[in-house]
Amino acid sequence: MMILINAFKSITRSKGRNILIGIIVVTVAASSSIALAIKSAASTAKETGLENQTITGSISVDRQKLMEGAQGDGDSGGQADMGSMRELMQQYPDLSLDELKTYSESDYVKEFYYTASASLNAAGDVEAYSTESSSTSSDDSGSEQNGMPDGMRGGMNGGMDSSGFGGMTMGDFSITGYSSESAMTKFISGESKISSGEMFDVESSDLNCLISNELAVFNGLSVGDTITLANPNAEDETYSFTIVGIYTNTSSADSSNQMRFSTAQDPANLICVSYNALKAVTDNSEAVATTSTDDNGSETTTALSMQTSGTYVFSDKTNYESFSKELTGKGLSEYYTLSSSDINNYDSSLVPLENLSSFATTLLFIILGVGAIILIVLNIFNIRERKYEVGVLTAIGIKKGKVAMQYITELLAVTFISVIIGTGIGAAASVPVSNNLLALQVSSQEAAQNSQQENFGRAGGGGQGGMQTRGSGGMFGNSTNAVEYLDTIDATISIEILGQLVGIGILLTILSSLAGVVFVLRYEPLKILANRT
Amino acid sequence: MSILSLQNVGFSYNKSTKVLQDINYEFEKGRVYAIVGRSGAGKTTLLSLLSGLTSPTEGAIIFDGKDVRKIDRYKYRSHYVGVVFQQFNLLPHLTAVENVELSMRASGKHIPEKRKLAMELLDKVELDDVLAKRRILKLSGGEQQRVAIARALSYNPDIILADEPTGNLDLATQEEIMDIFQHLAKEENKCIIIVSHSPEVANSVDEVYELAPLKEKRRKKPAMEDKVQPEN
Repeated sequence: MMILINAFKSITRSKGRNILIGIIVVTVAASSSIALAIKSAASTAKETGLENQTITGSISVDRQKLMEGAQGDGDSGGQADMGSMRELMQQYPDLSLDELKTYSESDYVKEFYYTASASLNAAGDVEAYSTESSSTSSDDSGSEQNGMPDGMRGGMNGGMDSSGFGGMTMGDFSITGYSSESAMTKFISGESKISSGEMFDVESSDLNCLISNELAVFNGLSVGDTITLANPNAEDETYSFTIVGIYTNTSSADSSNQMRFSTAQDPANLICVSYNALKAVTDNSEAVATTSTDDNGSETTTALSMQTSGTYVFSDKTNYESFSKELTGKGLSEYYTLSSSDINNYDSSLVPLENLSSFATTLLFIILGVGAIILIVLNIFNIRERKYEVGVLTAIGIKKGKVAMQYITELLAVTFISVIIGTGIGAAASVPVSNNLLALQVSSQEAAQNSQQENFGRAGGGGQGGMQTRGSGGMFGNSTNAVEYLDTIDATISIEILGQLVGIGILLTILSSLAGVVFVLRYEPLKILANRT
Repeated sequence: MSILSLQNVGFSYNKSTKVLQDINYEFEKGRVYAIVGRSGAGKTTLLSLLSGLTSPTEGAIIFDGKDVRKIDRYKYRSHYVGVVFQQFNLLPHLTAVENVELSMRASGKHIPEKRKLAMELLDKVELDDVLAKRRILKLSGGEQQRVAIARALSYNPDIILADEPTGNLDLATQEEIMDIFQHLAKEENKCIIIVSHSPEVANSVDEVYELAPLKEKRRKKPAMEDKVQPEN
């Protein structure tokens, strides 16, 4: 009680000294609270951003691992030898639909859907949509590569005529078969929308399709019309699709200026059908296919091939991670990996926030370090100034420990009040300050990305999406997704942060008091009073 | 029966600076003592020893049958001995009454209504309510002296030690202060020990101990002629 009363009297009677300490602690507390709020918001965003949010993932071959594997197996001293690489790739092809379906039986998987992609040529009156003025009629090679430099076109022919992308010959149109409506992510997200007609029956194997509005206008097609498409490998093998709906696609307008190797890559030339319909087409194509052997002895077939990709839907990130572990447990080779564009995109969107969090952590340590040094120095001067008081108090019988405790109590009280005021200021300022700092980080990140893009001769991303990442969509779709950086955070002061600040306050008090306490314990009342006399 | 006694007490700050030697004094309750001597005689050092601020290098100080060295000196200072320092040693940021209350709290004794008792003590040393609520630096030397006496009395110690309590005061105030000490000894059975070089103080106390400076004892160097001559 005596300590408390003495401390209170001393605080109220020495206002100047305590106000000075208070200002320092308020500054430290306000800055620390903002830094802690940023750190906490970044951590929360990272941990809970994808909580309760549906995650999609797909299993694919981990080419990086294959390369590493080839390097390990090869005799070329750390360099991937092509023979080993090819051998590994043949050993670990893309998983079949049946295998994908087997894994989808896991309890962690909420839903499983799949898509298949193939490429078909225009036949009859229909022409692929193109902004180029050249003819879009199919040629012998089955690959129309509008908008490409001649040299590149030649290179592409050399590389693609035999196998194209994923062993397919590139046609004028890309045709995607969907196993369910859930698989039609662009329609779900609103990027694509049926403007006339209706959705085809996803279960049916009837050759019903949706075509883009651009394609419909370009060819004067409407709902109910039929379009005839041909196998790029066998022009006389044609299939007639009935148009049941026409959709508008915002991405085709956005990406009209992008360079494409084929008209099939234009979103306007994407034809949507049910998976079963596309399967019926490819099955038929296989049945009527002819095979031939070229001069090199390699066998080629005219059968239309399709590439299947499965997508697993998880109710949250935890299930996604559990499923990933389960796959390993079920014996899935290490050369396959479960990846999620949702998680990758979200992680990319957090880059500026993580930079800001790292900056805030550094700032926090600097503030605490400088604050502690100032308080220690101030406290040492303080105690030296109060040497006489120490002498008097110990001379009248107050133990040195109690005198030291009184000084610690004074400092603790001033610090506590200052921490509360500082936290209040920090709480008021943390949201706007952190959002401003984050905006600076975002713009600097975007500027860096744009500059990088420009260095590679590409047009700057501009606007929000400075960074482009490969999506996991079909090979014919517009597979680049703009990363939208997280540009607002909820950097509010929580009870946890308040607790941390009080902890910081106590730590600062103890640290800065220690030096003072050492002085108090060293003082001898007789010496102090004798010197004064 | 003496409450405080010095038994062969000696004190030296270091090996070459001896201040006190072989002091044997006895102090009883109900009496006023004066320790007088010239400047440098060691009066203030002796007061420091009596108040427990330091310990003798020789001999022992016995309080109530116990060696002061062996008891908690903080408790000794805050319970049994009240000291009126020459420079008063009051806390300037506190008022007169708060200084008195501080000593009460420091003693750890259960003293009910501290403020009331402190005001009564200040009244006893003739400081009114207005002066009692003034900060120390706004009081005169004499007034501060009275506050120091009130503080020394605040926890009702058996012994009051006063270092030159009248040194800074005019004659009339000196007499008033000495009357207060006499009253405390006679009416409240306190043992009052005053360290002073004032003859007036010496004349107004019950017993006087005179402290003489230690003579420097130097061994004479023997002269050649003093040396013992070998017998022929």
